[in-house]
This record gives sequence, C-alpha cells and structure tokens, in this order.
Amino acid sequence: MFESIVGRKRKGKATVSLPFGNLPEPFRGMPVIDPDFFYGETAETCARICETQAIDPKAQTLDLGRCIFCGLCEEACGARGIRFSPDPHMPYGKREHLVIGDTTPESPIADRTLRSLLGRSLHLREVSAGGCNGCDLEAQALGNPVFDLQRFGIDFVASPRHADGLLVTGPVSRNMKEALIKTYEAVAEPRIVIATGACAISGGIFRGSYAVEDGVGSVLPVDVYIPGCPPHPLTLLSALLGFFARYPGKIPPSFPTPRT
Amino acid sequence: MRCVHLFDLDAVNPLGDAPFRTFLAGGIAAGDRLLALFAERCGPGRFLVHAALGGSFPGKYSHGCVEVSPKSFPTLTDVCPGAHWFEREIYDMFGILPQGHPELNPLRFHEGWEKRFFPMRGDGSPSPEPRRGYRFLQVRGEGIHEIAVGPVHAGIIEPGHFRFSCAGETIQNLEIQLGYQHKGTESLFTGAPGMRQLLLSESISGDTAVGHSNACARLLEQVLGTPAEHAAEKWRSVALEVERIANHCGDLGGLSTDIGYLFGASHFSRLRGTALNLLMRLTGNRFGRGLNRIGGIGPRVPGIGAEDLLTELARLGSEVEEAGSVLLEAPSVVARMEGTGRLLAATAKTLQIVGVVGRASGRDIDARRDFPSPCFEEHPPRVVVAAEGDVLARARIRYEEMRSSFRWLSKVLSSPFAGTSSPHAGPASGPGRRTLAVSVEEGWRGEIVHAAIVEGNGHIVRYKIADPSFHNWPGLSFAVQKNVVSDFPLCNKSFNLSYSGADL
Repeated sequence: MFESIVGRKRKGKATVSLPFGNLPEPFRGMPVIDPDFFYGETAETCARICETQAIDPKAQTLDLGRCIFCGLCEEACGARGIRFSPDPHMPYGKREHLVIGDTTPESPIADRTLRSLLGRSLHLREVSAGGCNGCDLEAQALGNPVFDLQRFGIDFVASPRHADGLLVTGPVSRNMKEALIKTYEAVAEPRIVIATGACAISGGIFRGSYAVEDGVGSVLPVDVYIPGCPPHPLTLLSALLGFFARYPGKIPPSFPTPRT
Repeated sequence: MRCVHLFDLDAVNPLGDAPFRTFLAGGIAAGDRLLALFAERCGPGRFLVHAALGGSFPGKYSHGCVEVSPKSFPTLTDVCPGAHWFEREIYDMFGILPQGHPELNPLRFHEGWEKRFFPMRGDGSPSPEPRRGYRFLQVRGEGIHEIAVGPVHAGIIEPGHFRFSCAGETIQNLEIQLGYQHKGTESLFTGAPGMRQLLLSESISGDTAVGHSNACARLLEQVLGTPAEHAAEKWRSVALEVERIANHCGDLGGLSTDIGYLFGASHFSRLRGTALNLLMRLTGNRFGRGLNRIGGIGPRVPGIGAEDLLTELARLGSEVEEAGSVLLEAPSVVARMEGTGRLLAATAKTLQIVGVVGRASGRDIDARRDFPSPCFEEHPPRVVVAAEGDVLARARIRYEEMRSSFRWLSKVLSSPFAGTSSPHAGPASGPGRRTLAVSVEEGWRGEIVHAAIVEGNGHIVRYKIADPSFHNWPGLSFAVQKNVVSDFPLCNKSFNLSYSGADL
C-alpha cells in the first residue's frame, strides 16, 4: 500500500494539455500535399502504389477516409508530392471534409442545439464492428491518465441506453451488422454516430471483401468521420473536442476556453 | 533462416487418409506441435488438406497433405484435439465435412448468410450440403441457468458471444461463439506477392502488427528470394520485443482494472503508452505499422538511434520493474489471482495451447527459440515457464517476459548492426515451382504462423494465418470451469486473445 502511494506521488502529472503540438518524428500524421503533386506524373505515381485507392490522380486529391497512412506514396514520389507530417490534427466531419487537394476543407462544428445538449457531457458507446482492434485500442487509450478523456466530460459507457451516441470502428463485418443496428436503435435521440478509422469510413484495407459492408456509412447515418489507421488518440481527441467547439482554435468567441 | 521454411510441393505426393492420420499423431507424439491445418482448392472439385508441424527441436518443420473429397474427410480431432477449430474452419470455408467431428458448429458464419455459401469452395464441385446452424451445448440439471453475453461487450473490446451455463454462481460450461470479426482476410491475401499482403498483415490483429508483419515479410522474402539483411532483421526483432513489452504492460493494467487495483491500472496503462510511443519513434506508428518492407525495413525506420532507444528503454524498464513488483507482491492482488482460472498442463498440451497461456501451464515452447529468426539465433531468448496455470501464473509470466525482453534489448542494441536495412533493389523472382512457405514468429501472445501456397508462376493461391488466439480460445472454456461468473472478466483478460486474429 505504502509503495503504491509513494509511486503515485513520485510520478506526478502525466496528462497532456491543449492545444498539443506535433508528435516526434517519424510519426506519420497529417499528410501535406506539395505543389509538385499537381504537376507532371507525380499524382499518378502516388496513385499507382496506393493499395487502398486513396489517391485520385484525375481530381488530384487524397482521400483521408481511405488512406491507411502506410507511407508508400511518400516513398514512391520521393516526398515531393505527398509527405506525412508529424501533426496529429486531422480533418474530420462528413466524407467530403476528408478529401484534401489544393485546398483542405474546414472541418465542421456541431449545430447549436447539439452543442448545448451534448457539448459538455457526452457519453459514447463504442462498437467494434469487424476491425483489427487497432482503433478500439486507441479509443481505449483515451481513458488512460495521459489523454484523460473524462476531464472534458466525455466518457465511454457500458450500455447504449446510457449513451448519447456511438463511436464505431471497423468496416462493419456482415456478422456485426445486425448487432450494430440494434445498438444504434437502443440509443435515445438525439444521438450521434462517429466512425473512426479508415475501415469504418471506407472499408480501408478490407474494402471489397465478401464479408464486410465497406464502412459504417452504408449501415448507419454518420455524423462525424475521423481518419487514421488507427487514428492517434490525439487525433481522436482533437476531432471530438473540435466538433463540439471545445478545442482551442475551434472555439467560437462567445465560448469559454476549457480548462486542461 | 530457421523461422521460415519452403516445401517443394511438386516433389510431394499426397498421403492416404490413414498415413496422414499416422503422420499427424506421430508428429504430436514426438513433441512437434500443430502449426497449421488448412485446406486448399487445387483444381475444380479437387481439394487438399495440409498439415504443418514442427518445433520438437529448433528449426524442425514437417509437412503432410491428403487429398480429400469435396464432400467430407475423416476427422483428425480424435488423434489431435488441437485440430478441432482448424477443422471447423475448413468446413466453414470449403464446405467439406470433417466426418465424426465432436462439435461441428460454424466458426465464421452466422444465421443470415446463404446456407450454401462457402467462400473458398470455388466452382466445379458438387453442390454442398447446406451449412448447419449453430447449436449451443445444453447443460441440464436442477438450478442450471444460462447467461448470454455479447457480441457487444461492456468495455471497449472486440465483439464475441459468450454463453455461460451456471449452477448458482459457478460456471459449468462456457461456450464461445466467435466470427463477428470475420472479414475474409485470408481471401484478400491471394494474388501476386507484394506490399498488399504486408499491409494486410498489419491489420490481422491490430495489437500484433509487428509480429504478423514480421512473419509475413519473411515469408514473402523467402518466396521472392530477397531476404532482408542482418541490420533489418535486427530492427524487426527489436520492434517485436518493444511490442511485447507494450502489450504485456497493457495486460497487467487490464488485470489490475478487473480486480479494482487502481495503482496497477493507471501505472501500467501509462507504461503501455510509453512503450507504444517508443514503437512510434521506431516506426512512425504506435502499433509498429510501416516497420516492414519486402526485403528490409521502411525508409523512416528506425526513427530513433540504438543509443537513444537504450536510454529510453532503461527508464521504462525500471518503471516496469517497480510497478510490477508492487503489483505482484500486493497480498490482495495475489489472493485474487491465485488459483483463479486454472488451465491444467495436460489440457494445455492436448489442446496445443501456445504462447504466454501455454507457458503459464507448463508448455516449454517459444518460437523465438524453436523457430529462431536471425537475431534470436544470435542472441537466444530466455524462455519463462510456470506450472500453476492460474491467472497469477499468467500475470507473472508477462512480468518476467518483460524483464527478459529489457535485458535482451539492452544486449542486442549495444551490439553492432551489420549490413544495410533498406530493401533490395532489382527484380525479385518466384520459386518457379509449386511451393508451400511456412513462417513462424513469436508475437507477444504467442506463436504466429503464416503459410502460403505459391504456384510456379509466383502467385499465392492460398494464404493461411494461424494467430495464437486461434489455438488458445478453446482453452479459455476449460480455464473458467468451476470458477464463479464474476471471475470471468479476470480469466478472460489473463488470456487476452484476439477476436480479429481468430475470426480473420
């Protein structure tokens, strides 16, 4: 008992504050599209090597909803077209907010009603629907002392009856489709659906398999997509807080800054 | 390289039913373990069942195959109970019935699938019998009641269905129905070998991206004839051990949570994060994705030099040591874990249980020693075995394995890295003959086996993955018998098996 108290005292505070900056290299976070991507063969070179068809060479865009952040395109173009920066902040929102090109669309903020109802107290039921467990583990990590999700009034709960929404991971395996729909129906309105990770957005690396639905969007109405493979806990945190206008920089002037 | 083996299938004649049984039973009796048992469609209406065994001495592999009818084959579960789930899988994917199987419930497909859908059966076979529905074992007697849990569980974990039959609080039988995570993974591996397979391997089980991608990379390299150089192999093994430390920390944190021991829960979940962040410094991703390329490691790897990594590991190691000794010496913790969820050594042996769970039940097996990759050949690991088979033994094994990994890492990182770590340039060629490649790696949960059948033209026609979870799930049912229902989460966490890796 005594040792555990001493151990706690000695460790001090481990929690990260907002806003957070870049992660250490060589973390592959938010991709940066360089001007070279729009000239010559660069976009084609990147598209050819991409195993999830995240790059559209005609439209010259990169779909973060399909990207699994493997880094092969960066290697193929010698980092002249696409390079992965160590920034954990990513665009989130509807599908169109995840497609980046010469411009990056601005991520949305929940409407006033949703913000006033759920903005300061959000309880989510996590549903793992056919993923590899990577996204689930990062969602779980949000609860550890470092990310400490509960300090923002956000928490994961055991029952959909206690929840304001779902956080779904995985491409939605056919075997999980029914359970996912039932869980969704058990959540009282107003409810939100957050789809997390490349699989939940587009099927990811499993897209096209006979056993998956290629993402949550084909089964449920999705309010927020968060990209990554899996998304870093800070990516999840910044998107969750950003959507409810609680992340510094995303906060409208009339809102108080959250304490961290 | 003793962690990968190629069998020339052009030179192999399929055995008859009886010699195949003898091969399997004889191998197991001689101390080999069942690495994988899987079927292959080798032509319209023609099927082979392959068995890969090995491990009775370092680098020992053996292979046997039998041609089976599209309808059925005699079950092998009676001579090798560890084949139990493999046969259910063969039935589900191919529609070939293991005749005489003791419990032929679907493993992958639930109600709602077309009853004649067998994804790997292909064309040209006679129409199969419709798939049987799932039948739960009924326990009868006075006061027996059932508790159904899942697929959606209370915590943030993968889906699976557990059906307990209890007398009062005591579990008489636990039936585990999986398949919810099935996403047709193995089917996606077929075709020309390349980065696609390697990226898929990182998503077989998200917490074992390094283990699975190491196994997959070495398999592809042997098939293509482009083995990685010493330095690359060394970083692979270093990443493997960091992954082991991260997950063992996570498990000790999870066990602490399940017994309400908050000190352990908060410290180990934080230490797990620290280890994952080291993996991120190495590979650019917290789970080690992007570590491997075919023929070497990724250009961003290692993002941290050996010396800096040593310093970080020393700091982490002393914290793990401290938190672990507080945890495992706390009388309340020991009292709760001791004798709980005991998996007997004989059961573990019969069921071919592998990895941490196997070693906690007296199984002296470790792929790092029995199928050593180059770096473990050079620096042999210390294999930790316990006899008790309870939750406490599984916790202690994790703690001791972490301590061994820290020592191993400090030895390996202080020795020189020879050769280049970047992938080879130049064209790679296939083996030119029909080949079975088997690759084994000791992931943090246990033995990972990847097996591929490659045609002469270099194309992969069948890819089989055996995650340690696949071997170990049946063991959980035995470990919880006669325990109280409220101890199930603790028992389950002490196994901590992958659903995705088992469901594929």
